[in-house]
Amino acid sequence: MTTATISANTRRMRGAVNRDTRFANTLASEWLKLATLRSTYITLGLGYLLSVATSAIVGIALGSTRDTWSGDISPITASMVGTVFGLIVYSVFGVLTVSREYASGTMRLTLTATPDRRQVFLAKLTLVTAIVTVAGVATTVSMFAISQAVFSATGMPTASFTDGDALHMVLGLGLAMPFFPIMGMAFGMLLRSTAGGITTALGLLWLPQIFGEFVPTWFQEHILSLLPSNGIDSVTVSHIESTPAYSAPLLGAAIAAAWLLASVGAAYIAFQRRDA
Amino acid sequence: MIEVKDLTKRYGETVAVDHLSFRVRPGVVTGFLGPNGAGKTTTMRMLLGLDVPTSGEVTVNGRSYRHIPAPMCEVGALLDAKAANGGHTARQHLAWIARAGGIPESRVASVLDLVGLTEVAGRRVGGFSLGMYQRLGIAAAMLGDPDILILDEPVNGLDPEGIRWIRGFLQQLAAEGRTVLLSSHLMSEMEATADHIVVIGRGRLIADTSIAEFTRRSTGSHVRVVSPHAARFAPVLQGAGAAISHEEHALIVTGLEADRIGALAAEHRFELHELAPRRASLEAAFMELTQGSQEYQGARSAATAVAPGVLAPTRMEN
Ligand SMILES: Nc1ncnc2c1ncn2[C@@H]1O[C@H](COP(=O)(O)OP(=O)(O)OP(=O)(O)O)[C@@H](O)[C@H]1O
Ligand SMILES: [Mg+2]
Repeated sequence: MTTATISANTRRMRGAVNRDTRFANTLASEWLKLATLRSTYITLGLGYLLSVATSAIVGIALGSTRDTWSGDISPITASMVGTVFGLIVYSVFGVLTVSREYASGTMRLTLTATPDRRQVFLAKLTLVTAIVTVAGVATTVSMFAISQAVFSATGMPTASFTDGDALHMVLGLGLAMPFFPIMGMAFGMLLRSTAGGITTALGLLWLPQIFGEFVPTWFQEHILSLLPSNGIDSVTVSHIESTPAYSAPLLGAAIAAAWLLASVGAAYIAFQRRDA
Repeated sequence: MIEVKDLTKRYGETVAVDHLSFRVRPGVVTGFLGPNGAGKTTTMRMLLGLDVPTSGEVTVNGRSYRHIPAPMCEVGALLDAKAANGGHTARQHLAWIARAGGIPESRVASVLDLVGLTEVAGRRVGGFSLGMYQRLGIAAAMLGDPDILILDEPVNGLDPEGIRWIRGFLQQLAAEGRTVLLSSHLMSEMEATADHIVVIGRGRLIADTSIAEFTRRSTGSHVRVVSPHAARFAPVLQGAGAAISHEEHALIVTGLEADRIGALAAEHRFELHELAPRRASLEAAFMELTQGSQEYQGARSAATAVAPGVLAPTRMEN
């Protein structure tokens, strides 16, 4: 290759428009990065399919054994059993959006192209929130629809979207889906490790289940109720199911918001200040 | 123009860069040399705003990297060629980087062509060889058609053909008036590529000179003199300030240039059979200059090997 060819190749673009590192470019770049990766579709698809399949299978199991159990099962709550799988996989997605960049070294490319770290942070936060909100609502709506179809086929009581409680829960759980993935992204940024981020995010998600109902009521009321998962569940599911670990919805929202702010805030500060 | 001013970076106890000052001028290829762990990569990371200096500063065309409005169009960098998501194709990889810098997508095809990767543009980079990664990294650095290029060990792991290609490429860029800074820990790589070198060891500046000057200054340079009158010639040379050692029939003269020796021989009417200036290889000169810092590195590595709790400083790859 001669000098002339490099010049011809490069000088041609001098004066090309829109060469700033403005936020729209950062957001578009982050989107492109995710949208061109097969693993993005595999991860999100896995979360969706696992959730919907679990709800369907549990529905079938409930329907085929309904003579053996007594008491009520809410067709609304029962349809949402698959949520936990969506939560786990979408949280992993949240962690990966950041930890994968540290593992592969592309974070340095990202920050070299866009030195303003506030922009990069905001773009990643926006994308994780938007993507998991869409995926979350799609997941809960599909779980509800498929479960009601199963219940109706097996002669069980069903619910419909026009039922106020159902809409509250289905949309509530769907819209709350980004909560743990956002925290996952924050932990991925703080720990710069896929394993560390996933463990922390899922640990917080599962702590109440680990302690569960084996601990005394006062512990549930005063300690477990302060965990992020119970905070958010107090908003989304407490109107149907109640345990001492749930708070009043407003208080629950405040607890959840405090966790979100603390983790995202800490990640923001670390991302700004630490060497890349 | 890159200006490093009194730049210092500490990582806990480790002083990676120690009050370093130098300038990199346009129009020539500048080699940035130093043994492993000398602080080359750290300096480059600070230049790119990735790491924050403990003190001092480094500026590009007068301002810090983070304050350049369109940095990719001013500075192109290759820090770690393997930094890519293996699931992306070469084209997709370059596309997201271009997008971040607001660079038109048409540039992607141009730079792929420039580095000779057009044929594999649609292949996942996960399956690339090291040489292909290096080319991809250079393509990414060239996306914004920058006037300044910073490359960290770009020839690492390349075959002779790849090395030849990079050399030619960088020299052409410099000939176009661009500023090119490339690091290496091998002096021999620089001999054929760089016009100017900045040598550091243990984070400190050791030399900032042209390649020719660097070799000449090194004490390894000598003149080989063969004369039937060697026994009488030697005291004359010593009297003129030379140091002499003997090698079979020859005198090895250091501290005097060949022209001066020839003049002395003529003056005293000594017959000469051989008068041969021997330049130390750059490698030898470099080894000699950086010996102190290498010994230091060796000693410290040994220390960390016996103390498993402090393994971190041995990770010098990034
Ligand atoms: N992030 C970090 N944390 C702690 N120490 C670091 C870090 N980065 C570099 N160092 C230390 O700083 C020193 C300089 O490292 P640097 O990578 O800049 O050297 P280098 O000249 O690029 O070496 P090489 O030729 O091996 O690439 C080393 O002692 C290294 O261990
Ligand atoms: Mg290095």
